[in-house]
Amino acid sequence: MNAGVVRTLAGKLGELALTLFLASVVIFSAVLLTPGDPVAALAGGIRPTPELIEAIRAQHHLDDPVWQQYLHWVGGVLTGDLGTSFVYKTDVAALIAPRIGVTVLLVLYTAVLIAIFGIGSGVVAATRGPRADRAVLIGTSIGMAMPTFVVAILLIWVFARVLGWFPVYGAGEGFLDSLYHLTLPAISLAVLYIAFFSRITRGAVVGQLHAEHVDTARVRGIPRSQIFRRHVFLNASPQILAVSGVTVAGLFATSAIAEQAFGIGGLGSLLTEAAARKDLPVVQVISLLLVVVFVVLNAVADIAIAVIDPDSAKPRRNA
Amino acid sequence: MRTTRITATVAGAVAALMFLSGCTARDDASPNTAEPVDSSKLVSSLPAATGEVDEVTWALVEGEPSTLDPAGDYSLAIPNLCENLLQISPDFTVEPGVATSAEWVDPVTFVIDLRDDVAFWDGTPLTADDVAFSLERNRVETSAWFPAFVLVDTIEVTGDLQVTVHFTAPDSTFRDAIAGAAGAVLSKAFVEQAGDTFGTSTGGVMCTGPYVFDEWTPGTEIVTSANPDYWGGAPLVGTLTYTFITDGATLANALLAGEVDGAFNVPPASRDNFAGSDSGRLVLGPSTASYSFGPTNSTGAGADPKIRQALSLAIDREQFIATVLHGLGEPQSTFTPPFAWAGMEAADQYTAAYDELAAPELDLEQAKQLVEESGVDTATPLVVAIPAGAKELSQTAAIIQAAGAQIGLTIEIDERQPTDFSQIFFDPAARESIDFVATVGYLDAPGVLGYAQQFLLPAELGGFFNWSGYSNDEVTADLQTARTTLDPAASADAFIAAQQIFAPDQLQVTLASAYQTTFLQNGLTGVTTSVAVYSSPWALHLGSE
Repeated sequence: MNAGVVRTLAGKLGELALTLFLASVVIFSAVLLTPGDPVAALAGGIRPTPELIEAIRAQHHLDDPVWQQYLHWVGGVLTGDLGTSFVYKTDVAALIAPRIGVTVLLVLYTAVLIAIFGIGSGVVAATRGPRADRAVLIGTSIGMAMPTFVVAILLIWVFARVLGWFPVYGAGEGFLDSLYHLTLPAISLAVLYIAFFSRITRGAVVGQLHAEHVDTARVRGIPRSQIFRRHVFLNASPQILAVSGVTVAGLFATSAIAEQAFGIGGLGSLLTEAAARKDLPVVQVISLLLVVVFVVLNAVADIAIAVIDPDSAKPRRNA
Repeated sequence: MRTTRITATVAGAVAALMFLSGCTARDDASPNTAEPVDSSKLVSSLPAATGEVDEVTWALVEGEPSTLDPAGDYSLAIPNLCENLLQISPDFTVEPGVATSAEWVDPVTFVIDLRDDVAFWDGTPLTADDVAFSLERNRVETSAWFPAFVLVDTIEVTGDLQVTVHFTAPDSTFRDAIAGAAGAVLSKAFVEQAGDTFGTSTGGVMCTGPYVFDEWTPGTEIVTSANPDYWGGAPLVGTLTYTFITDGATLANALLAGEVDGAFNVPPASRDNFAGSDSGRLVLGPSTASYSFGPTNSTGAGADPKIRQALSLAIDREQFIATVLHGLGEPQSTFTPPFAWAGMEAADQYTAAYDELAAPELDLEQAKQLVEESGVDTATPLVVAIPAGAKELSQTAAIIQAAGAQIGLTIEIDERQPTDFSQIFFDPAARESIDFVATVGYLDAPGVLGYAQQFLLPAELGGFFNWSGYSNDEVTADLQTARTTLDPAASADAFIAAQQIFAPDQLQVTLASAYQTTFLQNGLTGVTTSVAVYSSPWALHLGSE
């Protein structure tokens, strides 16, 4: 590990702390500012009298100044107390724990699909002649125009209902069964990104194919496959990695759409439901979790880029 | 129970009916899609099962319950776990249950005698202490079931298996109320020990029902299993698992693909797909559920009976039923649904009086005239609030809007997020900017007084939703008499006298009653298919044919 990488790592940690702080402030205020009184969620199932509403507000510090509520919440999160769900009256940690696995698996599964088919088709488009290029272009245009929920509906209809190859809903039990259950949801989430990654990869690879060092390598008689691996793809990869972090982090948020369509009880569906029901502690913790994932994955991508291309970690010259 | 539970369950009840269309399914738009149903063909339960089934998966379309505490949520998983003192049969008659008898011994004294062979799942026998504790737990002002207990003076344990309830006045509604969740029987020791965690995924519940609570995995499922020692005989289903599928299309697909064994409240929009299924069947049953809208303020056009009458005259009920319910419902003349009294002793009296009420009709000329007579400023738009994402209510609001336009009223639709919407029911400030609120409600236990009391009485007498400030001394007196008269015929007379006065004022403009919908895979039978599912162990006789 060289100095550049270490510097990057230290910088990333500082960035992480700052981002988390700012995000926690933004999330906290945003959730408070949205319409609807959280008392409605807290009073679920009971007939709220004015006295009771007052008691609920006091118990949950809802009448305290916003900054005090914020400190109270952050203090809890830092000491490992994520709070209690307004709706389910259980620890937020207990609500999130059983759902986190399925969402992580779904996101990883989707990421693998994107890597294989998105990057793969991009490379094909860039290297296998104009016909392949045209075919991939058409395919990716269609893919980009398909919203996730439309893909989900199509997939359910064709592969679950008509052909009966895959289950319609649920997350399954055990690893293999879960993979089986998550196949259609993962594909429906992946389609858009496969198209996106295909385009990015194609652009990056084509750029490298015409670079000087590649021409030089060719002139030196280095085998094509080796040129591609060592010179073209390796040099094209920072561009792909740069968007990977953002994409995978974004998948955690968009997974809600697939989770809803396929009846999967994951983090995304919990977040959507909690937001609608004004279950503030749950919304806050999941949002913060998403920010952490986002920052961490971007840091990982940046470090990976720094390893591949140490120059990128140094202060930018003329790009 | 008596009350509509609107406060407690409005968001949930609405959620239960938040169906999206089954758009992945065949859309061949057969002309029969909204064909009316012959109401004499409604079925309140399927024949009891004879064969054992290892595992049944049931989808809860209302979603994951917030709690399994019968006092906290209305989830359909609860009635199979926690029993009420009396049982509500599928035809809405009230039968003995955990209580062998529950009767008035004098006008203000009600005695509940318990079976001697009932035990909680942990083996502890049920005692009068548990029952008194459970009733007291609902007799607090903040309880959704409080209206059932307003006339109760004291609850006394008068024997190992006997509880005596003393009243300040006779209460004709109490016996039916304890057949609903107001009479849910819980283990005192368990509730006290569990504290705040009672009913949650970690704390669970301890009751006497035919199914035992095993495990609740948040976001995924609630697992229950047959109670081998159930006093009414062990169920034939080994494991009954509840999954949570709120998306109508996903639910329809899961049912049609056979991945889920059954569900209640399935989307009417998928009626054709269900009808075309060869793996299962859609069963229609009688219900107390109805669609309506009512005023939210004592001032403004909504509070004017003429405006409500005009809107009612401008709405085509047949079209409403065809569009919103896909034919799975029927017109209803007043807010108290006929099935509410179907099992009551004075049923014939109530039915005769109901038949005399003016049926909803379409008359635009008269509607326009009423608007003119009312003298309201038609330039000011009227606002109808509905919960966001509820497809049926969104269609309802659009129909109200179109009807208004035909008679010169401008109607605006205010779609609100669930919590924002439920706030309407307890925060006067949240009602200020709206004129009407459109809802789906149901009565989960027999009784005719629930809605009437809440919509018509002064707030201090239980008119929790009397927001338009309706006040008629004769109606108030008659309704009070109906409640405090134990003789069924005399009580019915008093209610009917009140109904004749208040019905034309349309404190709720009732649009239609909706049938109870159930989808069940072929080979399975025995479930309750009427609205009684909300308060009776509907899976007790579930099993194979």
